[in-house]
Amino acid sequence: MSTTKLTAAALAGIVATALLAFAHPVVAAERTVKIAAWGAKSGPLRSFGVNSEAVLKGAIKAINDSGGVKLGDGTMAKMEFTYYDSACNADQAISIARKVESQTAALAGIGPTCSGAAAAMYGIFQKKVDDKSDSGLQFPILTDTAIRPGLAKKSQWTFRNVPNEITMYDALFKWLRSKYPDVKTIYGGTETDQAHSRITFAAVIVQKAKKYGFEWVGGGIEGVSGKIIAGMKNVLKVSKSSNWLLADTNFSVQARAFKRSGADMMIISSHPFTTCGMLKEMRRQRIKPKVLVGLTSSSSAETLKGCSAAAEGIYIPTGFAPITKAAAKVAAAAEANGGAADLHSAAAWENAHIIKQVVEATGVMAKPETLKADRRKVRDGLEALVKVNGLMGEIGRVQNEGESIKPYVFVQAQKGAWKVVHDPR
Amino acid sequence: MSDFLLEFVEITQTIGDGLFFGTTYALIGIGFSLIFGAMRKLNMTYAAAALAGAYVGLAAFTFINAPAPVVFLISALASGLIGGAVYITCFRFIPINNHLAALMASIGALFFIDEIVVHTTDGSPLTFPALFDDVMFEMGPYGVRGDLLFVLAVNIVSTIGLLYVLYRTRLGLATRAVSQQDVAAQLCGIDVHRTNAITFVLAGLLGGIAGSMTASAVGVLSPLITVPLTVKGLIVSVIGGLGSIPGAIAAGLLVGGLENGFLYFRGVNERDMYVLLLLFVFLIFRPDGLFGSAIDRD
Repeated sequence: MSTTKLTAAALAGIVATALLAFAHPVVAAERTVKIAAWGAKSGPLRSFGVNSEAVLKGAIKAINDSGGVKLGDGTMAKMEFTYYDSACNADQAISIARKVESQTAALAGIGPTCSGAAAAMYGIFQKKVDDKSDSGLQFPILTDTAIRPGLAKKSQWTFRNVPNEITMYDALFKWLRSKYPDVKTIYGGTETDQAHSRITFAAVIVQKAKKYGFEWVGGGIEGVSGKIIAGMKNVLKVSKSSNWLLADTNFSVQARAFKRSGADMMIISSHPFTTCGMLKEMRRQRIKPKVLVGLTSSSSAETLKGCSAAAEGIYIPTGFAPITKAAAKVAAAAEANGGAADLHSAAAWENAHIIKQVVEATGVMAKPETLKADRRKVRDGLEALVKVNGLMGEIGRVQNEGESIKPYVFVQAQKGAWKVVHDPR
Repeated sequence: MSDFLLEFVEITQTIGDGLFFGTTYALIGIGFSLIFGAMRKLNMTYAAAALAGAYVGLAAFTFINAPAPVVFLISALASGLIGGAVYITCFRFIPINNHLAALMASIGALFFIDEIVVHTTDGSPLTFPALFDDVMFEMGPYGVRGDLLFVLAVNIVSTIGLLYVLYRTRLGLATRAVSQQDVAAQLCGIDVHRTNAITFVLAGLLGGIAGSMTASAVGVLSPLITVPLTVKGLIVSVIGGLGSIPGAIAAGLLVGGLENGFLYFRGVNERDMYVLLLLFVFLIFRPDGLFGSAIDRD
């Protein structure tokens, strides 16, 4: 190489280094509102994480396209998110929560998909803010999917934006009572190794059915009075031969128990895979109840992919249906990002917008030196919320419990699609 | 009908259903036994490969609307190919006496195959085609599912075919020779690696049939069933006697029938506990299983 070329190369190197050095403060000056999200991106429940990520990606793009988030000093900042894989595993969810809190500049978290993982993860957060004796994580979480009732009150840093199943099933059975006055008896089964399915079935669904005059076949269940949780153990005891596990493949015994019961209304409280297995077996055994009710988690595209014909007619309450302009927009955005918007994932859109609203309302600065204070502001802002705009309408917040009261509709599987059959909003 | 008769019908129907469903366990158990008989090693990927093959068959159904028999055939072929690949990656280059390395490699491959399926399908349950799905043969108070009768027939034909290959062909002779004394077999001019590879492919073909029959019997395919099916296959092959094909068949039916019986009498929460207790009892009191090891190495 000639001396001239060497000199030119050296000069180019110096110029490039200088440009990088000057460019750095400019990049640092561009403040961003960072969100950390995590959910199942591997394992058999991957579809939950895929859907949430797709919806969240659409939400952040929409926020940034409309100018971003206004910070405390009036600067407009872009919103960014990183999605981690917690695989519906409690250990992984806890590890990610610790890492995000200590090693990233994320202001808030969204996740971690499954109720079991959420229940365990919430346990490592500081129970009460400002409790100096509690060294738990001090990082606000706004969960989008984990739906098991009553989880968020474990910590004052944990919040959820998930449908309230107690309210939804109460309204569903009230509506079914008026629609099917001749229906008297019920029977059902659940996945006993899935806390959400099991607890919702035994503590909520059967109770709400009882409240509106639907009796378990054979004269009811001891202790079941219509009040939440009452007689829950007995519900699981009387249905022991009609229950199943998440990965079961043979439902002949359970379906025959359903058939033997001769109940007018049958309840299948499980996730899509076994809901489909059970529905297909019921069809083979020619079991045709007057009314069929399913678990909220089965009101998704997965159920229709797995068994649309067998699912025909099943009623499920859900917190999402693309029936408003905003909800339809989210459904389209999720599809464009390779996912699907459903009652679980659609909340990720609302969560991103809720965090934007809180950041703007509380004067978050999004600077490295204000990170701790900013997280606290976001937490306080989330707790202070009374109402927010959701995709299906106004979402109420239960402030001292970190929970939400979301609008809902009742859908029914009809010809391979979920049709809204009742809209109580 | 009196209550006693009703209960009798219910119990026999429950056990009968379990026996029919147990044929799918038997097929998985046979695959485990075949490979263990040939190599004295456990191929933990077996059920995962069987279901991955079923997914390939399902792709043919989804994208080219292939009829159910073609789906089953493609499933078997794909699973056979995966079986060959598993042999090359997890067994071929690992020293024959290093059982732990081969076991760990196949456990790794099990989760690898499962994750490929999960990432391809996002873990969603997918409808799997079935033949005679809506047919129900009713004989008095009893009913037999048409699709399960078909699964039983396919399983019987597959097992007969496998036994024919093992006991009536030169390939079967080579497989048995390698399983009994690989060094002597090699001295007789048998290519041990080739024979083992063919055994894996053969077991894979059978696994593909088992995977597609299981999916067909459920009507839905999901990666959720990979690990439970692996566990069932292991239980069946141990109870039947590792390496014994008749043992795997008998144990598959036994486990299927008892599983349903335990479910009926004790409920789902205790069902698997009793099946595992059965395994424990066999390991303690009859470690060679029902039929012992039909093929034994010096």
